[in-house]
Amino acid sequence: MTRRDFSERDIHMALDGELPGEERMAYDAWLEANAEMKAKAARYTADRAALRSAFAGVLDEPVPARLRQALLGETSVKATAWRSRWWLSAAAAVVLAVGGLSGYVAGIDGIGKTDNDDDQIAEQAIAAHVIYAAEKRHAVEVPASDKDHLQTWLSNRVGLKLVAPDLASEGFELVGGRLLPAGSQGKAAMLLYEDAKGERISLFVTAESAETAKGTYMAETGGPEAVYWLDKGYACAVVGSLPPERLSAVAKSAYGQLLAGISS
Amino acid sequence: MDDKKAAILSEIPRLRRYARSLLRDRDSADDLVQDCLERALMRLDNWQTGESPRRWLFTIMHHLFIDQMRKVNRRGEAAILPLEAGEAQAAPADQVETIASREIMDALQAISPDRRAALVMVAIEGFSYAEAANILGVPAGTLMSRIARGREELRGLLDDSARRRSIRIVEK
Repeated sequence: MTRRDFSERDIHMALDGELPGEERMAYDAWLEANAEMKAKAARYTADRAALRSAFAGVLDEPVPARLRQALLGETSVKATAWRSRWWLSAAAAVVLAVGGLSGYVAGIDGIGKTDNDDDQIAEQAIAAHVIYAAEKRHAVEVPASDKDHLQTWLSNRVGLKLVAPDLASEGFELVGGRLLPAGSQGKAAMLLYEDAKGERISLFVTAESAETAKGTYMAETGGPEAVYWLDKGYACAVVGSLPPERLSAVAKSAYGQLLAGISS
Repeated sequence: MDDKKAAILSEIPRLRRYARSLLRDRDSADDLVQDCLERALMRLDNWQTGESPRRWLFTIMHHLFIDQMRKVNRRGEAAILPLEAGEAQAAPADQVETIASREIMDALQAISPDRRAALVMVAIEGFSYAEAANILGVPAGTLMSRIARGREELRGLLDDSARRRSIRIVEK
């Protein structure tokens, strides 16, 4: 019997029943001798069990009448109204993550007006970032040296209690901020941050938001990315050209602090 | 009811489960199943009686799912981040979900549709690599790398949410 080297790939194959039977013993021995891989195999096995159990209940649900009817040729009016709409919810990027059925229906039946609020916020935030983060001397209206005034001024204009997040632990220092238009009549605060290498990120905060959503958005491939959160009464986007993990970490820290400030 | 329709009817629970794992929301998932059934009825002649309609139906549904995800993506790269447990404002009311189930469902939604489909096909639906590659229309190597990356990504997301929970506990 030829011995072969096993790798992480074999963990997946073993789990999915694709490992040839004659290799099983050698695989088990390899796993026993390799604590890291053994732990990984155990986690993946547990994850698969959790996945199966999370969706197991679906098999026991009675087949909905509208699906029976669709198959047996008696399509009802109600079923037709729903048909082919499932992907709109994915487009709205709302229903899957947070919106319930009510948000879904409002998004579609409300002339589709609210279903891309999240994109709009992200697009505005990216547009502002592209313009101002590139400015060396005129990036901000009020510099970080005048932070107290900056926070009071932007809070009054935007209508939210704004506290500029401390992102020092993520390597970013506040440069300053400016006031921007948002939506058709609203205002937004933009806070600009810079790291030691001169890489800049911006926070875009507005009170103009009627829906709840969360996601990432990239207007064009290779351009800056926005991580955004929308809630009723405020929205926040963090924009930058960082690797996704870093942007996501910075965004989470910024959002947590903003939220704590707004609701304090 | 003819035999073909009877055979398709018996596959609906599995189609619904696959759709639910792809889309999470119950109504959206059933809309996808309905689209699939209607497409299948139009192409009933493509299916040879005598063999299980399962692979045929999964192939139809997967194409519908991927086509629509592409249309969605053309508007811009809109991906969905996983929700933290406390943020879930409107979890499907029709199903009692444990926290663990909800966490893994949310994490599954956060990985790319291609990886999600590959992983679910094998890990939940129990198709072999060869069958799944055939249904998804990709080479076996691509399928395997999607499964591996999908599992890694899913585990990373679950680790993240566990870490956030422990940070919260420490902060209290």
